[in-house]
Amino acid sequence: MVGGSPPAYRARRPGRLTPVSRWLFRRLLQAALTFAAAVVLLFFLMRLAPGDPLSRLAGDRAISEQELEFLRRRFGLNQPLVTQFRAFLGGIAQGDLGVSIEHYPEKVTSLLASRLPATLLLGGTVLLLNFIVGVWLGVTQAVRRGSRFDRWMTRLALAGYATPSFWLGLVLVAFVSLRWHLLPAAQMTDPLLPLDASPWTRAVDVLRHLALPALTLSLTSIAIMMRHQRAAMLSVFRLDYVSAARARGLTERRVLWRHAWRNTLAPMITLLGLWLPILVSGSIFVEAIFNWPGLGSLANDAIAARDYPVLLGTAMLVSGAVVLAGLLADVGYTIADPRVRQE
Amino acid sequence: MPREVPVIARRLLVPALLLAFATVASARQRPSDHGSIVIVMGGEPSTPVPTLLGMKANDDVSELMFLRLARPGLGKSVSDEHGYEAELARSWSRRDSLTLVFELDPRARWHDGVPVTARDIVWSFERMRDSTVDPDRALLLRHITTVTAENDHRVVIRFRRAYPEQFYDATYQVQPLPAHLVDTIPPARFAGSAFVQHPIGNGPYRWSRREPGRQLELVANPGFFLGAPKLDRVVILFSRDPDARMNMLLDGSVDAYEGMSAISGPKRLEGNPAYRIESQPSFDLMYLLFNQRAYGDRSRPHPILADPDVRRALAMGINRVPVLRSTYGAYSQGADAPVTGAHWTRSLVPAGIGYDPAGARALLQRRGWIDHDGDGIRDKDGVPLNLRLNLYSGSAERGLMAPQIQEQLRQLGVGIEIQRLEGAVWFARRNKGEFDIDFSGTTMDPSPNGIVQSWTCAGRSGTNVGQYCDPAVDSLIERAMTSTRNPESNWRAAYAALQRDVPAIFLASPRALFAVHTRYRNVTIRPESFYGSIWRWSVDPRRRIARDGPGA
Repeated sequence: MVGGSPPAYRARRPGRLTPVSRWLFRRLLQAALTFAAAVVLLFFLMRLAPGDPLSRLAGDRAISEQELEFLRRRFGLNQPLVTQFRAFLGGIAQGDLGVSIEHYPEKVTSLLASRLPATLLLGGTVLLLNFIVGVWLGVTQAVRRGSRFDRWMTRLALAGYATPSFWLGLVLVAFVSLRWHLLPAAQMTDPLLPLDASPWTRAVDVLRHLALPALTLSLTSIAIMMRHQRAAMLSVFRLDYVSAARARGLTERRVLWRHAWRNTLAPMITLLGLWLPILVSGSIFVEAIFNWPGLGSLANDAIAARDYPVLLGTAMLVSGAVVLAGLLADVGYTIADPRVRQE
Repeated sequence: MPREVPVIARRLLVPALLLAFATVASARQRPSDHGSIVIVMGGEPSTPVPTLLGMKANDDVSELMFLRLARPGLGKSVSDEHGYEAELARSWSRRDSLTLVFELDPRARWHDGVPVTARDIVWSFERMRDSTVDPDRALLLRHITTVTAENDHRVVIRFRRAYPEQFYDATYQVQPLPAHLVDTIPPARFAGSAFVQHPIGNGPYRWSRREPGRQLELVANPGFFLGAPKLDRVVILFSRDPDARMNMLLDGSVDAYEGMSAISGPKRLEGNPAYRIESQPSFDLMYLLFNQRAYGDRSRPHPILADPDVRRALAMGINRVPVLRSTYGAYSQGADAPVTGAHWTRSLVPAGIGYDPAGARALLQRRGWIDHDGDGIRDKDGVPLNLRLNLYSGSAERGLMAPQIQEQLRQLGVGIEIQRLEGAVWFARRNKGEFDIDFSGTTMDPSPNGIVQSWTCAGRSGTNVGQYCDPAVDSLIERAMTSTRNPESNWRAAYAALQRDVPAIFLASPRALFAVHTRYRNVTIRPESFYGSIWRWSVDPRRRIARDGPGA
């Protein structure tokens, strides 16, 4: 254990920020700058990519040059890039991300708002499953190291780790939906569910539709989580303070969760920080396979159609989530580990 | 004193009452042929309002809510005004060769109960003829000079000149909107208006709700003047992924799949008694478009493809039969001109260039294309006969056909470099002329006149991206479009002239495929729209399922 006297803190002068607040302020500023740089880069890089954003509107029908010009004017695509950027910044200042080209006249903000709940539901379920099941399996494996359970879970984890989620999704659809007819193959809700259906009926319906995409995304990521958790736990088990806790006569459960597991939180928080953006970004492949109406499929469509406003909107949301997740992970470290706070 | 009821009447009274009761009871218990339908399609119909420029998905769904004055009859020529089916117009007549008169059906109502009047038709034509609203539509309506209302139910449409498809232009290009609801909305604000969020039409189905990204729902218009629809609810789902669409069909989530792929669809439905495949000739055309100008430089002729003999030799070197069979199975028909299987002029197309590899080799040789260096690719003046074939990577059908065509042409000594491009890039390159050969797929206008856009000199500033131009062909097409006497022979001559120039290798007109649940009856599908006759479909009362609603 770390011994010695606690560090001496100087009395804070009124009006001056504490070191933690200063750190937090600096970190927030850094996050805001990172986000701004990402937005600027996204705006220009998207427009540098080859492709015409009017292609999806034209589809397979013949479309004249006059009509193309008309559409370019409508979406401001005939303006110089700098003018477009200025208009974009002006829009952001008013909370307006513009109008979708493909889903004209739908506003990007309302499109994002309509797709966000589905993505949050799927991403949130996956994160929850990852952490609850992944952590529990990883800890149990570490506790029962070398047992048959440990060996089998290790094999399963490696298999899960190596399985591409899109393939797993297709297999689950083929068997669970099409062969055994146990769960729906796609969509988020039953299209003919009555508008006056009870909340319970609605919840069951959504859960039935959620099961396969959540399982597809979770099975692979739980494997990663449990491998990390197992390794972290094993490294902690070797440390003196765990032996000391046992020597003090604490119950094994208390030793495990209160002393050992708490000290494995740092790598888990790192993983959480990496996965948190999934909450908003969704998964392009899995959303496509299950026709899940989330942000992943919206972004995928926007990329294919070069729907710049929607693409920028989703990219900004994901960038924001990445930056925010990094920030939250840093704050998480300081909460979970007092040594980080002191540094 | 009341008269006594005769004995015979008394004896008959009870059985008669029992019979009447049984009849009423059986009528009440007769299973209903009403129901619902869930359709899955490839694009999201976010704004199914006719005047908005939009995707095919919007146009398709608008068919369920907005009628036209009249609609081309199934299998009838679009230039034969007697072959049309009445919709908003009850009848029509001619005052002279330049004037059409339509009598509106007085029973026609908007979904808010207001009668459809001549004012709606006049306003809608004015809006659609405004080139600032929809330039392409305005171009199609350019021959119309005036649209006037003589009274509440009589519309008079005058034309600049006489031509066979006046009636088609007057009826097909415009789906009227309710003037009383939209005439105060400026065109620039129309798309964002409340009307577009909750459109009010005059067709068999009314707007119910839309959940962005998930589904759109329409409900039957019980007061529809042409007859109440039997399907009470039409729910439209969308998915970009064809496999996801097929999975939704196979797990029973949807009842119909519009635009099924011929490659995998029929095979996956094989032996499944729940669905049947409906196929119709379509207005779709697949062709290899030759660029007449240099790659990316329209100021210079194409160094290889400007020579019509080379184009002809390439056409002679392609054996379409195995290519189409392996891709579409039985669901396509060969094309020899820009005419599809659903066009009334399809029987007028002369036989095209047949498969003749020996003739192709000889022709290339005559034009100086010889394999001098023995590398398998012909060359001339040091220039190898290599061509870039642009291919939209999102089309599975084109992706299957391209390597087969590449191999067939390689055997002629022609090198084909396939450039698989994602949609946005393919579209941009096509419009800029950055291709030697473009693997094109297009949905044509139901009128054969549509070829003006892509196969005449005038179209070069627009959709004629191959820059093909032959004034002689232009004048033949113009004559075919405008001649009121014997248009058949004029179309035949125009197609023959096009074939001589070989501006493209016309491959096929694929049939449109639909998978429909077998519980539906009266299933008819129009070539111009899957959705146009859904309101006539009904459910077999013996085969109702839960989502069809209460059975009696």
